[in-house]
Order: sequence, then structure tokens, then C-alpha cells
Amino acid sequence: MAVAAERARRLPSVGSESVREAAVGYAFVLVPLFVFALFYLYPLVYAFYVSAHEWGGLEGKIGYVGLDNYRELRGDTAFWTWPPERATALWNTVYYTALVVPVQMALGLLMALVVNQPIRGRTFFRSAYYFPALTSSAAISAIALYLLNADGLVNAAIGAVLGHDFNHPWFGDPDTALESIVGLNAWTTSGTMMLFYLAALQSIPTDVYEAAAIDKAGAWRTFWKITFPLLKPAHFFVAVVSVIGALKLFDQAFIISSGAGGPAGSTMTAVLYLYRVTISEFNYGYGAAIGVVLFLIIFTLTLVQRLLFGKAEIGY
Amino acid sequence: MADREETAPHVAAVRELALEGEPAVGAPALIPPRSLGERVRRAVALALMIALAVLYLVPLLWPVVTSLKTQAEAAAGFDLWPDHPSLAAYREILAREDLSFVTFFRNSLFLSASITAVNLFLATLGGYAFARLRFPLREVLFMLVLGTLMIPDQIRLVPVFLMMVDFPLTHWNLTQTQRGYIFFGSSLALATNLFLMRQYFLTIPRDYEEAAKLDGAGYFKTYLRVMLPLAAPAVAAVAILTFQGTWNEFFWALILLGQGDADLYTIQIGLTQFTFQYGTLWPQLMAAATLAILPILLVYVFFQRYFVAGVAAAGVKG
Amino acid sequence: MLLLLVALVPGAGLAGSSGSSQRTTVTLAGWASSPEETAALERTIASFERLNRDIDVEYTPISGDYDAAMLARFAAKRPPDVFYVDSLDVFDYQPALEPLNRYVQRTRGWSTKPFFSRLLNGFTVKGQIYGFPKDWSPLALIANTDMLAKAGIRTPPQTWAQFTQTLQRLRSANAVPGGAPACLSLDWARILAFVYQNNGAWVTTTGGRLQSVIDSPQNVTTLSTYLGWIQRGLARTPAQLGVGWCGEAIGKEKAAIVFEGNWIYSYLQRDFPNVKFAVYPMLRNKARGNLAFTVSYSMGKDSRNKAAAWRLLRFLVGKQGMGVWTRNSGFLPSRSDIRPPAGREVFIREAPWSRPWQFVKGFQRVIDFAGKELEKTFEGDQSIDAMLRNIDRETEAAIRRSR
Repeated sequence: MAVAAERARRLPSVGSESVREAAVGYAFVLVPLFVFALFYLYPLVYAFYVSAHEWGGLEGKIGYVGLDNYRELRGDTAFWTWPPERATALWNTVYYTALVVPVQMALGLLMALVVNQPIRGRTFFRSAYYFPALTSSAAISAIALYLLNADGLVNAAIGAVLGHDFNHPWFGDPDTALESIVGLNAWTTSGTMMLFYLAALQSIPTDVYEAAAIDKAGAWRTFWKITFPLLKPAHFFVAVVSVIGALKLFDQAFIISSGAGGPAGSTMTAVLYLYRVTISEFNYGYGAAIGVVLFLIIFTLTLVQRLLFGKAEIGY
Repeated sequence: MADREETAPHVAAVRELALEGEPAVGAPALIPPRSLGERVRRAVALALMIALAVLYLVPLLWPVVTSLKTQAEAAAGFDLWPDHPSLAAYREILAREDLSFVTFFRNSLFLSASITAVNLFLATLGGYAFARLRFPLREVLFMLVLGTLMIPDQIRLVPVFLMMVDFPLTHWNLTQTQRGYIFFGSSLALATNLFLMRQYFLTIPRDYEEAAKLDGAGYFKTYLRVMLPLAAPAVAAVAILTFQGTWNEFFWALILLGQGDADLYTIQIGLTQFTFQYGTLWPQLMAAATLAILPILLVYVFFQRYFVAGVAAAGVKG
Repeated sequence: MLLLLVALVPGAGLAGSSGSSQRTTVTLAGWASSPEETAALERTIASFERLNRDIDVEYTPISGDYDAAMLARFAAKRPPDVFYVDSLDVFDYQPALEPLNRYVQRTRGWSTKPFFSRLLNGFTVKGQIYGFPKDWSPLALIANTDMLAKAGIRTPPQTWAQFTQTLQRLRSANAVPGGAPACLSLDWARILAFVYQNNGAWVTTTGGRLQSVIDSPQNVTTLSTYLGWIQRGLARTPAQLGVGWCGEAIGKEKAAIVFEGNWIYSYLQRDFPNVKFAVYPMLRNKARGNLAFTVSYSMGKDSRNKAAAWRLLRFLVGKQGMGVWTRNSGFLPSRSDIRPPAGREVFIREAPWSRPWQFVKGFQRVIDFAGKELEKTFEGDQSIDAMLRNIDRETEAAIRRSR
């Protein structure tokens, strides 16, 4: 009805009106588009350009070197090794991702299921679980340093269970430093994953459960046979979001190791390495090459997400 | 790093937001337990809920408790409760001159408010145009906007840094300046926000605009007087999440504002310096961390609904 | 600022012979690891300003990533006039530093002789001085005196052999309940002192060419001795003791002996005022050897007030300025004509055989690499031989790059 009325009114002056509308439309999107061009598209192209040059902080652009920066990166044992070794930036990141993604997904799903139960006070619990996700990486890392220090709360709790003093410096030992960041980030990020899973749980039609109830299927069986498979798109979405987030690990590693990626390189992540090369060593050409390589890895993963996930699920 | 541009939005939650009811994450109605199995199930769920709440809340409350201790008490080793609770740690960190938390707080507030305002204006204006106005190449341009979500921070670090050191054409050095950070920071969640606003505008019936048009209102006036008020819930959600994201933002603040001049530090960068240098002064460090979390916590308590709906909609990560 | 204007206006046009009418601002930058350190520096600056009424010193402590912050200022050609440079970074900073030889020559009555020569050499590149050490510290043997007494040890160990015996006695007397006789870091910035004591080195210059000698047989012995102390349970690492660093192990009474520097004083006094400790000379084996950690005051090549900057710099590292600084900060003087704070003479006596923590340009990467290799070796994933060969290869690569 409204559409018909609109058309009727517009018909006489459609030419000038639509030109005006288009002009206003361009005017409104001009500034946002300018911002995107300036801070996304231009840097994307510029990164490739810089990566093909030797480019230093004090000297500026020194000269064109073609693929030399990429060749150097291929042989850079601080960035990666073949066969994979821990304490290299790339493999630390992969190792971290492989550990943190399943943990935060499982925690998120568990919390979503629990909070989805018809129990009084579930809104409070939902807020409580989301609480760590609100905090900044800087604050939560400072808190983690305290909780996980040799005589912190975590060791005190473990000591109470074991019945004797337990004083493990979680971030001071190369064998547990990155793993502790896994725990920290699984803890903070799972609240967000819970919200994703909750939204998905809500969209499962109730008649599916009614059918299961008639079949007298137990709760456990209902979950594995019905709920879990129906959550497949959500699993996929949450997994990809987690993986991409995990590959960007920087803040916590930077703060906990005071920017050094230690002890013994155990918390050196790909982005921290990129930061060190660029900001601390002023090696722009090499930094740009690292950025391009990381971009290609993430871009491939994102493409896979877009292709497998389909347009409908992500909303456009 | 701001992860939120990366993740794809959930349209269902936008629609829920549009309905202005409880957000998407409600739950089935409360029904009294019937069978024994049902009762057991609920008891298990409740036990799990409480256990998880302990796991998720205690580690965050504990620092607050520690911030009320004295340095000697904290250095002495593990102890659950302060013997003489005091605000000494807060007084000490607020009185410091070299790392002034008052300055950090003010900087963060100013930057977050400025960026939220700029971001919101661009996102709503652009979102409105993409949702309602017809112009050639509209869909292509919109796909371009969404395409920027696939360009991660990693590849942008070097070029953006070089750009900010020596801005194209003007040769401004925008690093270590607040205007530089506001300029760049306004781009950070813009694509997601613009997308959310567009989706929301699409759910608003056209009748309202038609009425405005009959009154002779132009496009800008229609946007400002009609569409924005109608989109209030979405605007609120986007504003709150952008504010939180900027307040917590670390990576770019470190690069663009964090190189040595403590007067420019945001609270997150200031907190990091504090962590590096005074790592064992636990009461002071915990007091500082508490101060960094507090504003967001307050916003959360008062506007929780928007947080939850907005996160579900935008896929915002911490 | 307002004062400065007021001072300028009436003085304009009158070439001020008193100096009070023409005031120059000199910027000074450094890092500060504690509020006390900042206060001590401010007191030193104040005494300079009292003597030089025509110069205002503007001090900015740089927090965070110092190298990044400084390089950003160098790149913008707006360096602070005077600033700190760590001995490790001299080669990386050198293109941005002002050579100081001609300033020294032009300043009558100012000599470089009082500086400990090894420290000054740390800031000298190809005969040009790029900075003067503002203070320094070697390592020393820090011991908990109560624990030594409990094990009946009257004289602290002086050699590696005596050190081993001391550790055994401490262990059999159970002098460190809940800890270990010693805390040893898996850190090249400690181990290298032991390497020197065994007539070894990391790099050496032969025939004017720098080369890596880290894989020498005596270094294998040093490393197996050092790691052996830990593996035999006579010492433990900070991680094993549940502390952040060995200083904390002394503070928490989890170790009787550690090897740390002058920085241990302010730390223990602040956090663990009740721990009784004493400082003894560093160990020796075939030779005396120690590491020197030192930082200079240097001048920016692009400084805009070089004359005034030099006046500030030479005061800060001069007898008077360094005296004020070391008295107030508790740091160790890098000049032999200034007495160290009471009780710290042990450190100063290490000066003749303490070599600066310094290698070649871009060596931080090699140090990071060597740290990881050390960790792997300690975990038993490779032999000491293999580790030293790997480090040797990386060192050679760094030397090639630096040419």
C-alpha cells in the first residue's frame, strides 16, 4: 500500500527527484567511503609496495629489493622453522590457536546450554559469564599476572587441593607461559562464544524438542542427537571467529612478557614478532612482508568461512 | 586488537533489537518441574551454573580485594582477606606524577567519546543512505564496505604507521597526537557499525519517512528527525559497544600513542607501563586494573540489554 | 614558560653577560625504573641548574619501549638533546649520535681519564666517543648471611670449586628449607660472566676482524659446569623456585646465594627489608671475569642546542654531577674519582675485569636465539655442543650482517 502510494506521488517528477536522491546518497556515503579507502584499501596496496623495498627507520626508503624480504622470512628461524618447532612466532601462534579454539568453544557451548535452562536467575548467570569478556586485555593481563604468580590465587587453590605448598610461576616457565595465556583467553572469550551459541539455541524451533519428548529421549541423548547437529552452522561460525581472533594474539603476550615474547621465546606470537620488527627494530620493509604473509593466511581462512558458511547465515 | 571488524553479524539479533523486547538471548518460559528426571536435570544445571559463576567471577573480585591491602601484606604471600582494608593503593596511584592515572583516565574518556561520536555519525548517515536512498553502484559500494572486514590489522600495521608518521600530501606527523588517533580510530569498527545500522534502518517501515516527506522535510532532516529517533535502540547498542571497544583498545593505541610520552597514554597503555615497571606492587597494580575496568562495568550494569543484543548482532569480541 | 618570557623581554637587545637574560632549554630523556630514581635525577638536574642559570633542563622520562620511542624521535629529526643509551644498543644508535671527541678536546681541564676504561670503551666506536657512562654495575655474589652461618660457612666461596663445596655444605646442613642453596638464571647475561672466568668469550677480535668463539671447548666446560650445578640439585632456576628472578629468591629466602648486581639493594630494601644479606666478589676460575651493565649519556646528532647539551652532559658525567647522582640514587659511579655508596666497594673492585654487555649491531636477535637454545638444552632436547654450534652460526650471521 505504502509502496503504491509512494510511486503515485513520485511519478510526476521522477527524473529530478531521483538525481537529487542519488546526489544526497553519494554525499552521505562519501565520508565513510573515504575513511575506508584511506585506512583499509590504500594500506592494503601500500603494504605490498613497502614489502618490496628495503626500508629502515633512520634511513627511510633505501631501495627496491623485489622478493628479498620474503626470501629472508622463509629462512627466519625466529619466525618459523621446518619441521615446526615451539618458540618460533608462527608455530607458537598455531599451537595457541589449536589449543584455545576448542576450549573456548566447549566452554561457550556449555555455558549457553546451562543458561538456556528454565531456571530462575539465569539472567544473572548470563551476565556473570559474560563479565570477563568486558574487561580490557591490559587489565585482564595484569590480573592474570597476579592470579598466576608463584604465590597467587591459582597456586593457593591447587595447593589446597594437593595439601601442600604449590608455587609454580605460570608465566615464568617456558613450558606453561603460552598455555597460561590459552587458559586466560579461553576464560575471557568464552562469554562471547556463549552469546553466539545462545542466539543459535534460541532459533531452534521448539517442536523439534516436543518430538523428542514424545519419543521419551533422555536429555543427554536429545542433546547429542538433536541439539548438537542443529547447531552446526553456529559451530562453524564460532570456530572461524575463534580461529581468526586467536591468530591475532598480541595484547596478552605483549603485556605478560613485557613486550619480549619470553621466557625463552615461549610467548612470541606472529603479531608480536611483527610489532617488534616494525616498531622496535624499525625494519619497515621486512615488517610489511610479515604482514602480507599473515594477511594471506587469514584471508584464505576468511574466504573458506565465506564459502562454506554461505551468505544467508552471515547476513548478506 | 579490535577483533570486531572481523566477525560477521547475526541478522536475527538485529531483528530482535528492532522489536525492542528482551534481546535474542531470552529463554523458554519458566515452567515448574514435573518428573524426577526433570528435577535432577535442573539440579545439575543449577550446580553447574553456580560452579561456573564462581569460576568466572571470583578471579575478578579477588583483585579488588587485593587492591585494599597494603604492599607489605601482599608481599608476605597468599592471604585471602586484607587485615586492615584501606584505600592507600588508590591514593598512591592517583597521586603519582610520572604515571598519572588521572591523565590516563581523562585521555581515555576524551578519545572514547570523540571516536564514538564520529563513528556513530558516519555509521548512521552511511547506513541510512545504503538502506534507503537509491543511487548507482549502491550495492557494489556496500560490498566494498563489507570487504574491508577481510583486511586484518596485521597487514595494516606497517602502512598505517608510515602513513601516520608522514601523512600523504599534507606531510603531517599524526603519531603521538590525539587527533591522529581519533582520525584513525574512527575507522576501526565503522564497517560493522555501518552494516548494523543499515540492517536496522531496513526494518523500519517506510510510512514514517513518507509522512516526513509530506511535511516537506529534506533527506538530512528525515535522517536526523525521523530515522535516528526510530533507530534509538540500535544507536544505543552501537554507541555502547564502540565506546567499550575504544576504551579497551590496545594495539593501535600502543602504536599511535604509546611511544614514550606518558601525557598521551590511554588508561590501557598506562596500565601496561605500570605492569612492566611495578609488577610486584600488587595492591597498586590491582587498584589500577580495577580503575581501568570500572567505567565499562558501570555501563554494562546499566545497559546490559544493549550489550547482549549488540554482541550477538555484531559478533563483538572482548 | 611565563617566567621565561618575562626574563626574555627586558633582556632583549642587551647581550647578556650575566647569562640570566638568555635562557636555553635543553631536553633530557631517559627511562626510570622507580619513582626514587626519578627523584634522584631531578635533584641532580636541580644542582646543574643552580650552577647554570642560563639553561633550563626539561626532563622527560620515557616509559614503555624506549628503543621505539627514541628511534621515532631520531627519524623525525627531533631527538632529545641528551639521553640514555644502553651499552648493548650503541651500535644500533650510533648513526643518530653525536661524536663527542671534539667537545672533549675543546673543553679545557676536562679529562676522560677518571672513567673506568672498559666502560668508556663500551661507548667508543672506531675511536670516537659516543657517550659517557652515567653509572654501571657488575655482578657479584649475593649471599644470605644467616644461611651461610647455619651451614658453618665463614668465608664465602671464591672459586668454582669452592662454590661447589659451599653449595654441598648448604645442602647437607639444610640451610635453605623449601628452596635451594643457590639460584642460577638460565640467562646469558649471567652465564657470560662465567664464560669469561674460564678464559672463554662469545666474540673476539683477531686481526681486526670480529669473530664468534662461542663454540670453544672451554665454553663447553663452562656451560656443563653451570648447568651441572642446577642438574645436580645444588642450585635451581627462578622458575623451579617459583620466583620471577633470583633477586626475589634471596628476598623470599628460597636461595642462599645468587649472582646479581647493585640493583639488588633498592629491591631488597623496598620489598624485603628484613632479609640479611651481604655482597662478596664475583667467583673466578682460570681467570677473573665479570660483566658490566652500563648506560651512557649521549647527545643527539640532530640536537639543536649542542653547546648547551654538552654543558649538561659533561656536568652529569663529571665529578660533581655524578657525585650528586650516585649519592641520591645508590647507583655505582663509573668514575674512579668518586666514592661509591658505603658498602658497595665490592662492586667497584670488579671494574678492571668487567666487560660491557655488548656485541655487534643487531645482536638482540642473537641473544633471543641463544636464550631459546639454552632453554632447549636445559630441557635435554640437545647437547651443549649442538647448542653452542647453533649459537655460533647465528653469531657469525649477525657479524656478517653488521659489516
